[in-house]
Amino acid sequence: MAEKKRAVIVGGGTSKFGVRKATIHDMIQEAARACADDIPALKPADIDGLIIATTMAGRHSSALNTAPLVVHRLGLSPTSLCIRLDTLCAGSNSAVIVAKGMIESGIADVILVTGAEKVYAPQRWETNYTQLMVNDHDWDSAMGLGVPPPFFAMIARMHMKRYGTTKEQMAHVSVTNYTYGTDSPMAHFGGRSLTMQEALEARIIAEPFGLYDCCPLSDGASAIIIASEERAKELSDRPAVYLRGTGQHATHSMSAGWPGDTLAEWPHLKTAGEVAFKNAKLTPKDIDVAQTHDCFTISEIIELEELGFCKKGEGGAFVASGAIKQEGSIPTNTDGGLLVYGHPFGASGARQALEICKQLQGRALHQVKDAAFGLTHNLSGTCAQHTVVVYGREPVD
Amino acid sequence: MADLEKAEIVGTPALKGTYVSEMDMWPFECEEFNRIYPFYDNLRAGKFTTTKCKACGYVAFPPGVICPKCWSEDLEWVELPQRAKVVCFTETQAGAPIGFPSPLIMAWLTFGEGTPLKHLLGRIVNCKEGELKEGDEVKFVVFDVPSHPIDVKRETEVRDRVYYAFEPVK
Repeated sequence: MAEKKRAVIVGGGTSKFGVRKATIHDMIQEAARACADDIPALKPADIDGLIIATTMAGRHSSALNTAPLVVHRLGLSPTSLCIRLDTLCAGSNSAVIVAKGMIESGIADVILVTGAEKVYAPQRWETNYTQLMVNDHDWDSAMGLGVPPPFFAMIARMHMKRYGTTKEQMAHVSVTNYTYGTDSPMAHFGGRSLTMQEALEARIIAEPFGLYDCCPLSDGASAIIIASEERAKELSDRPAVYLRGTGQHATHSMSAGWPGDTLAEWPHLKTAGEVAFKNAKLTPKDIDVAQTHDCFTISEIIELEELGFCKKGEGGAFVASGAIKQEGSIPTNTDGGLLVYGHPFGASGARQALEICKQLQGRALHQVKDAAFGLTHNLSGTCAQHTVVVYGREPVD
Repeated sequence: MADLEKAEIVGTPALKGTYVSEMDMWPFECEEFNRIYPFYDNLRAGKFTTTKCKACGYVAFPPGVICPKCWSEDLEWVELPQRAKVVCFTETQAGAPIGFPSPLIMAWLTFGEGTPLKHLLGRIVNCKEGELKEGDEVKFVVFDVPSHPIDVKRETEVRDRVYYAFEPVK
């Protein structure tokens, strides 16, 4: 019997995230160039599979059948896979799950996973308006739910009420993530810093959220290479980073189907995490570094709870204790996360995967000492779906 | 091409006075485009309804053409409670979509024990900013929303629409 194929992440790169003077094609080309800089031996001809994760292509860019457009712009000629994938904010993290299966089954050898969004239209109102189409349009959106802050503000209020979480505890998330993201040159808010006072005194977006409790909408693209262990060795001398386990769980699309007792409980994330840990043959205690979906400060707090890094309800005190800092028990969003690096929906999962790849190869900007196991997580939609991937320096078996 | 080159119109020539479904804030409610059109007809009659499965008894929301529990097509329309309690709420201060008035108040509503609808995100209307409190009772209310044109053979007809929200019980 042939030896089992294993999927590894080799490396990658991102474009500059932010409000960009660039088209979606420009940014995908920039991300691919950054990916090639990270993996000098990589040539377009090495890539036999392509997954482009995007939500807004076809909306703010006239690019509905996106995969062939990427093929042409990057000079690819894929033979195993050439698809567009959309799970909104989890797009390229979902693509990692698909790529893992394709590599392990032997159907593909070297897959380029790229995620990209052009969210800023020539007139700003259109960007907010389009958000009506990414929630459950005929129901929650028709109630006026467009951009996410109002929904997550209610989640925060509920968490404060049930578990005593404070605005100051939430600010620990943004202040910490700025310490990580400030020196990421490609980050939306790279070069900026944030003090506790600035975080607490910022203008209100939706009570209890100030400006820094909310991640930005960003233009941007990211690109990573997922390959078989054998092909990865030919492409790079760096240590292999294995895709050990994945989990993805959804229970609903609109508010009536919300699975928690209240908005402060996210049982669907708990399930997604448990599935990923089981497949990875690990527990939360094993994870050295995590990239969780910090679309809002409260999100990171609840994610740390539901993923099992702290007890339910204690996330606020946990982040305030310094647990998410570089020397803490679970350094989190070590490249700045969505709050600082920015959030071009489909591009965020691959950006997280790249940071975990660097951490486990020992070459991250904010290196966690001896990081051996890492985790990425995205939520998507109106907190409708959760996607978790677990990585390790050792294969799962 | 000469007309286009003159570029007398800023933007898209084809959109002058034209309804664009891609930009529509509201559902297709008419029979020609939606099999759950009775929901909207029921709204017009002041009723808040959904589909119940005659095979397994499950009450779904939103309504559908099959039961999401057992995939039976044998469904009936039933009424939902019209009063709810505010668990928490938000008065949007930034980023409300164009077309919705400010303040845009949205609340997380519960419908009480024994009702098939556990919770729902509902817009609160007829309420000033600062008036709403957690625990307040609200009731279902129906109002007109923008109509849309529809091609019927060679003619263009207009289909009226309604939608629903909740208002404080005073």
